[in-house]
Amino acid sequence: MLDKNKGLSKAREIYLNRLQRVKELKAAGKTIIGYPCIYVPVEMLTALDLIPYQTCGDIKEPVTEADRALPSSFCPVMRNCLDCALKNKNDFLDGMVTIHSCDPQEKTARVWESYTSYPYFHFIDMPITVRPEALEYFKSQLNDFKKTLETFTGRKLSKDKLESAIKFHNRQRALVRELYELTKPSPPCISGTEIIQVLKALTGLPVVEGNDLLTEVINEVKSRTGGLEKKPARLLIWSSILDDTDIMQVFEAKANVVMSESCGVIRAYRGEVKFTANPLEGLADYYLNEITCARTFRQATIGETRKDYTRDLQSRFGYLKGIVEEWKINGAIMLLVRYCDPFAFEMPSLKDYFDSIGVPSTYIEYDYTVGALAPLRTRIEAFLETINQ
Amino acid sequence: MVVEKKRTINRLKSMYPLRAKVNETYLKSIEAIQAGKPAVWGMLNFYYGDPILKAMDIEVVYPENYGAIAAATGVAQQYLDRADAEGFPTHLCGYSLTTLGYASRMMKELNGEIPPEAPFGGMPKPLFLMSSAAICDARYKWFQALGRYMDVTVWPLEAPLPGIKEFSIEDYYDEMVKLGVKHLRDFVTFVEDMVGKKMDWDRLDKTTGLMIEVNRVWHEVNELRKARPCPMHSRDFWSAMPAALFLAGDLEDSLRLYQDMYKEVKDRVGNHVSAIPDEKYRLVFAELPPWHSLAFFDKLAERGWNFVIESVGYHPPIPLDLSRVSDPLERITKFSLQFLVGYYEDARKQNVLGGTTAYPYLKYAREWKCDGALLHPLITCRSASTHLPYVADMLIEKMNVPSLSIEGDIVDLRLFNPEDALAKAEPFEETMEHYKKMRRQEGFDW
Repeated sequence: MLDKNKGLSKAREIYLNRLQRVKELKAAGKTIIGYPCIYVPVEMLTALDLIPYQTCGDIKEPVTEADRALPSSFCPVMRNCLDCALKNKNDFLDGMVTIHSCDPQEKTARVWESYTSYPYFHFIDMPITVRPEALEYFKSQLNDFKKTLETFTGRKLSKDKLESAIKFHNRQRALVRELYELTKPSPPCISGTEIIQVLKALTGLPVVEGNDLLTEVINEVKSRTGGLEKKPARLLIWSSILDDTDIMQVFEAKANVVMSESCGVIRAYRGEVKFTANPLEGLADYYLNEITCARTFRQATIGETRKDYTRDLQSRFGYLKGIVEEWKINGAIMLLVRYCDPFAFEMPSLKDYFDSIGVPSTYIEYDYTVGALAPLRTRIEAFLETINQ
Repeated sequence: MVVEKKRTINRLKSMYPLRAKVNETYLKSIEAIQAGKPAVWGMLNFYYGDPILKAMDIEVVYPENYGAIAAATGVAQQYLDRADAEGFPTHLCGYSLTTLGYASRMMKELNGEIPPEAPFGGMPKPLFLMSSAAICDARYKWFQALGRYMDVTVWPLEAPLPGIKEFSIEDYYDEMVKLGVKHLRDFVTFVEDMVGKKMDWDRLDKTTGLMIEVNRVWHEVNELRKARPCPMHSRDFWSAMPAALFLAGDLEDSLRLYQDMYKEVKDRVGNHVSAIPDEKYRLVFAELPPWHSLAFFDKLAERGWNFVIESVGYHPPIPLDLSRVSDPLERITKFSLQFLVGYYEDARKQNVLGGTTAYPYLKYAREWKCDGALLHPLITCRSASTHLPYVADMLIEKMNVPSLSIEGDIVDLRLFNPEDALAKAEPFEETMEHYKKMRRQEGFDW
């Protein structure tokens, strides 16, 4: 019999009630800091013994309160996140860190700060390129973040503590990648739905607890017998965000989702922070350079004076080729959350890239509500029929 | 019989030669491009890249503006349909879709030739693209997406966007300047490589000085509009702004023409001349105007609605003394940053943290003594719309200034219904009257 307090069952419990553990931590005297986006360097919070808690939306929650602050033709994920905040669902937070990772994040951050009154609120600006001067600027932004955290906590953020936090978070990234190794077999040993449960659980736990949970899950999955049902398609989902099991289940009804290149899934864990003389340098490089979100402007050669579309596609999407080969992917879903401009502009070019490496792909759009699930199902079924022919 | 359109707004005489200069420069630029002079496609970049291109004598066309022209002349739809067929989601910025459809037609069907149906001479294949991170994600992702049709390199101009509160952290501003100066120095090298000639630094210095002075005078013109009655309507603002915002035209000519405008507006203030016959209501307009239906403002002027201030995104920066900064790149950077941060200290003091482009409306309403705000949210331009609910909320809460929101779009002209909007005018006048009483009860002086 499965132990509800361990491994996948525990992850599912936390996924279904993320607030429970964080409220326990709060009751135990911990300071909880919210963040809405994976670009916030959580290592800096961990190093000061603050608990990072990712503030998520809820596709089952109709947006009502956020209407007074954001228009309806706006990123539905951020509208939903803000709505939860305005309904006091995050009132346990001691602070909030926001970042200019995209326009909706920036715009929502401003409004969020205005309509709430957490003891601490900080906004990190972020450049769009990976040019050296942009990296320097982003490092200075992280340094400013450090200053405000030190003022808020009354404690110094020492190099040793930051390096230790980076080690723990790098360990978490390595464990997530190890978890994803378990989707390589056919059938995969773990489903996309289970992975969402585990990874979303991580975003509400202290890093060490998260690492323990991941270790338990990996051991449990490795010792599984019988495996999952093998389905005709092995899918890659490429999206801005995918953090809800109801959505994933629509895809997994008739396919194995073996890789989700999205926030909420592997995007925050694919790389690793390098150890540098000044740890902020390594953090700046990781968060600006390594995370493969469409918000960052990449080109084949920085400052190039000649352009070649094939090389351009390679610089923007080339990392996907290895994934397609290693995970034996035979179909890709380009899943767009409506009004997400950085990802929306990528769609035709990404399709060109998938075509160039021989992977059938389809573009599907949804609005981050439960109402979107039925049309999503129809679209995915139609796509699966075409690739299974 | 020719029926003359009734124009209620008392337009500035000095606006016409300024506008004529802008138009003349545009046509000359198109002629030069058609004769083979290389052109750059640029995004509105808030004074950051433009002076460099101007000093290098490079012709720039702005696809954002061209999108508005294509919409107004009725050719945009075929480009929108084409972008849709190419797989771009229809909810993307209408200007971007117009450009993407245009580029697809030009490069895929016409082998790089300008489409014959393109109005105003069209946009030729550019030498390079200068995008900008300022204001929204679309304005750098859209040029990147053009790579599908043209092997033309892109320079994405960085544009720091600091937090209002965070801006007061020690060294914060200096780091922004450091980023800007280094970034522009590399941009100059890039442009030199692209056009095969070196920057004339004296010329850049002079161009920068003129740009700053043109915008200072333009700022002073708008300060005069605080007078009651307001001597200059938003229509004149929008007609006159390209010379300052896009540096369209010869900057020495522009400086003289803005100075003429200053004199005319000052005379009007001295003689209590209003921009409309009977100013009953003073309004602020936000953000992009309905370019295709500007006659709508004449109808509102007949009702006594005077638009005394508008569109923060088009206003010149609050003047900053940069005379002691010798490096033109540093002057450009600080001038460009001032567009946003010029409002920050005041916003922080007022504890209005909800958006870099939101606070100025509070300042406008207070200093230009506005009775109401006309907000124009746009379906496919989220950057010009997102802050509007917050602006409305803030204006009513902090100052008892009500807002009227009228939806439209930048390319889908059907979405703006002037008749429907006019039908809302009378009830909104009652609302403005009500809040005027409330303001007085609460000690406001207007």
